Amino acid sequence: MPAEGGSQNSPSGGRRDYSQDSLRPVTIKQIRDAVSDSGDEFKIDGSKTSQITIVGQIRNIATQTTNITYKLDDGTGSIEVKQWNDADAMETSPLKARLIEGAYCRAWGKLKDLGNRRHVNAQIVRPVDDMNEVSYHMLEATAVHLYITRGPISGTGLGAGGAAVNGAGQQGAAGAYGATDLVGYSAVAKRVYNHLKEAPQTNEGLHQQEIAAKLGIDTAEVAKAGDALLEGGLIYTTVDDQTWAILEAD
Amino acid sequence: MDHPQTPRILAPHLQSFQHKLIRMLGKVVQLRGETAVIDAGGNVDVILNRDCHLALNHAVEIIGKVDASLHVKVQAATDFGTNIDFSAANAVVEATHRHKEIFYD
Repeated sequence: MPAEGGSQNSPSGGRRDYSQDSLRPVTIKQIRDAVSDSGDEFKIDGSKTSQITIVGQIRNIATQTTNITYKLDDGTGSIEVKQWNDADAMETSPLKARLIEGAYCRAWGKLKDLGNRRHVNAQIVRPVDDMNEVSYHMLEATAVHLYITRGPISGTGLGAGGAAVNGAGQQGAAGAYGATDLVGYSAVAKRVYNHLKEAPQTNEGLHQQEIAAKLGIDTAEVAKAGDALLEGGLIYTTVDDQTWAILEAD
Repeated sequence: MDHPQTPRILAPHLQSFQHKLIRMLGKVVQLRGETAVIDAGGNVDVILNRDCHLALNHAVEIIGKVDASLHVKVQAATDFGTNIDFSAANAVVEATHRHKEIFYD
């Protein structure tokens, strides 16, 4: 979530835009596709983005006097990640020895365009220990992309105002939207949800055709409503994709 | 120099990725010298190169080319250990196909 309220009046009196201070997990393709209006301002999915985190495999390492440049590849593309030498750092991190070609790593940093070469100025580059982090990162990048392009999970509709999401892995929106808040769902979706909630059933839930028959609604309509509810995490599929049950929040 | 994209796929997708460079995460189920079988949503025959060292029952991520007989000719293999959540990994494959816009051209 973007920073809000508080007493952060900048000295100039203007309101600072904090959206670009959010840390966003992205794929390298998203970095390549990011739109740059001027200088160091980037937009991904129309949302101002500066701080990003990526996970990728090291393809090349170039050690220079002032920085180390890693070429990272995550399967969606490749990008140079520069880590500037810290003159004050007396000893080099032991993690650095594990950053070798072929190894997976996670980098945090800022997007930069230098000339027409886009790269990431990284504060931190560290090796990935648990390889599940690779899957996790891809799914998190997808989740944030969907949040920004389609709005929060309970579907308050499109255009979350381009609000950047905290990329630190929290399920930010979940708490704010009650489990049975059906605001933003279609009338059919509300009826399907309520029917699933009220109708007697086994723990396998109800088949969409059964629901369609009971409510006298076209199966296609019910399927569409089900998709919306599934996407919103209000129901889940049981024995097959067409059989749903209510996802209880507690 | 840019690295080519390597779409993440599973065994059922091989047919549609013939002669293409792909990325596949699977569990090593059989080692036969110059070839191996990995389970990536189904068994896949992979043709190894000299540089890859696969370990039985370990997860391995392979970058390689799908040939006409749907074998994968390995260019690089990365050991992913024994602690991989394949349901998450398979969800990634699904997400990359469903929300292709952020993954592949």
